[in-house]
Amino acid sequence: MRLAVTGLSRAGKTVFLTSLVANLLAAGQGARTLPAVEAAVGGRLRGARIVPAETQSTPRFDASGHLLALASDPPRWPERTEDLSTLEIALEIEPRSFLGKARGMLAGNRSVTLELLDYPGEWLLDLPMLNQSYADWSRETLARLRRGRRAQAAAAFLAFVDALPAGAPAEESLARQGFSLYRDALRTCRDTLGFRFLQPGRALNPGPRGEAPLLWFFPLPERVTGELAPLLRRRHEAYLDDQRSSFFDPFFRRFHRQAVLVDALGALHAGEEAFDDTAAALAAVAASLRGGLGLFDLLTGQGVRRVGFAATKADHVPSRSRDALLGLLGDLVGRDPAGPLDATTSVHAIAAIRCTEDDVATLEGRPVSVVRGVLMEGGVMRKVYPGEVPLRRPDAAFWEHAFFEMPVFQPPRLDGAGRAGIPHLGLDALLAQLIGDLL
Amino acid sequence: MSDTPPRRPRILTEADDAPAQRLDFGWEQAVAPVAKPRASRRWSALGLAAAGLAVLLVGLSVLDVANFVTDQFARADWLGWVTLAVALLGFGLIAWAVLRELRGLWALEAVDAARAAFARNDYVAARAATLAWAARVPAASPSVNALRGANDLDSLRALLEAGPLAELDRATTAAGRVAAAQAVGATVVMPTPALDAVFFVWRGFRLVREVAAIHGLRPGIAGTFGLLRRALFEAGAVAAADVAIDAATQFVATHPLVKTAIGESGKGAVAARRMILLARAAARACRILPSS
Ligand SMILES: Nc1nc2c(ncn2[C@@H]2O[C@H](COP(=O)(O)OP(=O)(O)O)[C@@H](O)[C@H]2O)c(=O)[nH]1
Ligand SMILES: [Mg+2]
Repeated sequence: MRLAVTGLSRAGKTVFLTSLVANLLAAGQGARTLPAVEAAVGGRLRGARIVPAETQSTPRFDASGHLLALASDPPRWPERTEDLSTLEIALEIEPRSFLGKARGMLAGNRSVTLELLDYPGEWLLDLPMLNQSYADWSRETLARLRRGRRAQAAAAFLAFVDALPAGAPAEESLARQGFSLYRDALRTCRDTLGFRFLQPGRALNPGPRGEAPLLWFFPLPERVTGELAPLLRRRHEAYLDDQRSSFFDPFFRRFHRQAVLVDALGALHAGEEAFDDTAAALAAVAASLRGGLGLFDLLTGQGVRRVGFAATKADHVPSRSRDALLGLLGDLVGRDPAGPLDATTSVHAIAAIRCTEDDVATLEGRPVSVVRGVLMEGGVMRKVYPGEVPLRRPDAAFWEHAFFEMPVFQPPRLDGAGRAGIPHLGLDALLAQLIGDLL
Repeated sequence: MSDTPPRRPRILTEADDAPAQRLDFGWEQAVAPVAKPRASRRWSALGLAAAGLAVLLVGLSVLDVANFVTDQFARADWLGWVTLAVALLGFGLIAWAVLRELRGLWALEAVDAARAAFARNDYVAARAATLAWAARVPAASPSVNALRGANDLDSLRALLEAGPLAELDRATTAAGRVAAAQAVGATVVMPTPALDAVFFVWRGFRLVREVAAIHGLRPGIAGTFGLLRRALFEAGAVAAADVAIDAATQFVATHPLVKTAIGESGKGAVAARRMILLARAAARACRILPSS
């Protein structure tokens, strides 16, 4: 069974997978790290192990490496993911009925294999590009770039394309210059403004194969009809073919369950535009995931059947605000009401690694709930007030003092070998909802 | 709460600037395994039907034979006695076979229980299981007294690892090597890959039984199957890149007789490696201590 963990960049996919693997392995040893999953299988989980490597050509997801880094002193969070990697976990489950047990004695307990996939989140946004022509993509992307704060970040690039003559020749230096300006604009949007709807993904995160000429394209206004346009269009096409054959087809076509991770709080703190941008990006991805299901998949029941949306880093808000976080996430993803076909969709608030405790503080003369944790920077204990979490997309007054970046907390003390799993919040409920029926 | 404007998120400054300890939620203690209540067994409809069928088969055949015996007695006394003897012998053998199977399965369960006791740090259960085990396994008899004297879990572990288990591991490795050498031979002698596979399955089955015997277990057919599939599961845990396995493969591969065979095909080395891996995995499934 394939469990896809999707999410925009920095949503917490890598950390999520690391925690998932560590906690499943610990649960296989009998530790009660995932009570809801244990309850879903009726206490019949007998073992969990990483399926040994065979002859795969994709890199292995290095769960133990990430775990060691998190447990070491001083702890380190995983690096930005540069490449895709996979890992399979086999869960051994004791059959329920007597006859099943008798069969189990001979043929073995039932074994359920979970296939996990980690990849750079930026690439996910290439998915909506697959069904778009170069002209459509250019038009939409330019329109988006000219709006609001993006326009400032992309000023140099916009000036460049606007100055292009209508008959621009297929000059290599023009294409290169345009691409590098475009990439700079994307980078600023991602790193300083917190935007997510940025395409193409490999311009931001080129992956292991580095930067290749097929990347050197950028959106072009319709008015430019010179030789430059066909060149860029060919590259755009080649890029999509490449992403399709090396990433989407082999890894994305068939998965049965999907966890979509969203950094809802981060989006909220990044301001109104970034929040709407995240919502738009999620909607676009969800729409193409739905469109990607062919008739065959639907008839045979392949394809996504259960989707769990999860607001990650729930430990950034005190427990009383987590319900609000759930509501906010529902609002963020629910604006596109047609969820993936007949999928049972649920929302969760999770922290793959719980890094904080609840506390109270007095702010402007009133007691408020805060979280307390050790900051990565300086290693000091600090209380952090994450602000009021609204139940749905807040109105204009709220955004007046948005723009806040949650500090990075140190992970709690961990047993280096990961024997006891990783402290988490709600990971088990998400898993039980997603795969509980298969166990 | 809706009338108060949302206050700006912020990091609260504090006077205390000393580097702090990392948070500790006491997670390890919180998730430590507890003895599980046994999952209640449910009889499915099919299970009930199968049990009914078994009762009918056994019961009716017993009744049938009993009738036949009385008939024979009616015919002639001596004929009756002979028939009775034959019937008893036949049923006795069947009962014996069933008993053997059950004993084999029970011994495996006992080993599992011991391992579980060690895993959850239950000294009392672990000690009882260890002593019962030591009484069955010849290799453990020299250290029975020492084991009885061990008064905590760690010393129990250390005594087992240093004494009987080291001995058993050695014997296991030896059995694995013999099987490995034969497997290499088979890849040379067997005319087709299909026959190779047949040989592997047969030899693997035997190897698992050998390893079980080394550990004082005499699993029946069901027990061996159970062990085999557990060994296959454990094979994942015995890391594929294990140094010990490489060393052992090397050892087999440099044997003068084997060397010529391996020289001919890389298949031989793979076969040898599989056998050694299987031996170690089977040993893990038979050991009373969870191996590290
Ligand atoms: N406090 C907290 N921070 C988290 C958690 N998960 C992720 N983070 C933070 O988010 C960053 C990005 O996570 P990562 O898994 O690399 O994101 P990815 O790009 O989706 O793979 C990490 O470096 C952490 O600082 C969590 O559960 N709790
Ligand atoms: Mg990542």
